[in-house]
Amino acid sequence: MPDEEPVPDDEAVREEPVRGEEPVLRVHDVHRAYGRHRVLRGASLELPAGCLAGVVGENGSGKTTLLRILAGRLRPDRGTVSYRGPLGYCPQETVLNPAFTVDQHLELFRVAYRLADLSRAHELLDTLRFSDCRRRRTGTLSGGTQQKLNLVLALMHDPPLLLLDEPYQGFDWEAYQRFWELAGELRTAGRSFLVVSHIAFDTGRFDRLWRLEDGRLVDDARRAHDPAGEG
Amino acid sequence: MTPTPWTYFSTAARYALLEHSRNRLALVLVVVFVPLWISLGHAVVDRAGVRFLLRAVNATVTAHGNDLSNISGALNAVTLIVGFMMFSVTFKAGSFDQRLAMAGYPRRHLVAAKFAALVVVAAVTCAYATLAVCFYWPPRQPVLLGLALGSGALTYGGFGVMLGAMLRSELAGMLLIIMTSIIDTGLQSPIANPVADKALIRFLPSYGAMQVAATAGFRDSVPVRYLLLGPVWFLGAVLLAALAFQFHTRDRRYAFLTR
Repeated sequence: MPDEEPVPDDEAVREEPVRGEEPVLRVHDVHRAYGRHRVLRGASLELPAGCLAGVVGENGSGKTTLLRILAGRLRPDRGTVSYRGPLGYCPQETVLNPAFTVDQHLELFRVAYRLADLSRAHELLDTLRFSDCRRRRTGTLSGGTQQKLNLVLALMHDPPLLLLDEPYQGFDWEAYQRFWELAGELRTAGRSFLVVSHIAFDTGRFDRLWRLEDGRLVDDARRAHDPAGEG
Repeated sequence: MTPTPWTYFSTAARYALLEHSRNRLALVLVVVFVPLWISLGHAVVDRAGVRFLLRAVNATVTAHGNDLSNISGALNAVTLIVGFMMFSVTFKAGSFDQRLAMAGYPRRHLVAAKFAALVVVAAVTCAYATLAVCFYWPPRQPVLLGLALGSGALTYGGFGVMLGAMLRSELAGMLLIIMTSIIDTGLQSPIANPVADKALIRFLPSYGAMQVAATAGFRDSVPVRYLLLGPVWFLGAVLLAALAFQFHTRDRRYAFLTR
């Protein structure tokens, strides 16, 4: 595959639908290597408010590394990440405590997020159809239901920016559809999403799409129109 | 709405205790293993007198072999169980605690709650082990015996937290706790090593606890300095654990990262 032509910054800004607002997420020239293996080699993107954006790439292309850096779980070797306000981060693996029930998880995170009540969390449980599991320990739940709770813990404080790493892994078709309905509602309410996915058929659902190739984020719209960007 | 420090602490402490109570294997070990070890030690080890050097009172003491075996047996049992319990919750809940901390749960309250749970677990286990010993023979100072066991349990609880925060393999953690305990209590057991005159013995993790426990069993003095050795070991271990936890849960949510 030929090397990508570097895109001048001013050109990139022109194509951003900024609408006169500051982007909710700005990633600039992020590099990260594991030993000699350079996973990210200058990844950059800007995400406006109310945008449902996706990052796709092959297995091992660095999607999860990128999201971990954006969530603050991993430090980049070089580059900057900035965003306003709190964020919701849904890791790829379910991070729950098998000893606690669903309700107990919600209560702990209510305190962590400093929420007055759990009304939003309960709405999310209803939307994803697992309110009947509230008193069950997460260790006894199916993988798909655990993933639903994993997602709810990232959404329950209604953050303006959501970083979701393969958030529908293990979902059945109905839950998968409900996830996208929910994402659409939140986008309308002005929330921004960055969803990492390896599933090619998701791509039509995103307002913006980047492909992670050779450690850089390639704007999918630009790629389609610019012959230099074709792989 | 910002919760009060007490809400942060009490919620985390409640959940930390709940988590321990869900560790069935540990509960079975406490209920069955502690009295079993003490009972077997009392039944199997010879009752004949054993002379050994008790450094805490700087004197040679003679005691029944099976009574003495109960001291080292009880200490071995509580250190292993409390070490295992603390390792298990720290290891299993590690990434969950990181997620909670990154969601905004104050880390110092999480850590304080884990410590409070450790103290409760150690206190209950050691009180139970002391009662089991008292069932067979009357130690001179049962309360001091409980405190000595608690001091050893605290040391190994600290090891459990430290290993749980540092290791990536559950098996490695369990093996390290067991191997440490075998070397530790094995070398200084008055039955296996009655003279115990090598300076190296002083640097074993449960040295203070063993000295105080033996004093509690057969003498009337209270060697406070030795009793404090357990908490010192504990502090060293949790300091390393806190550094590891801090390292894993650095809050970079509002950071503008530049390098």
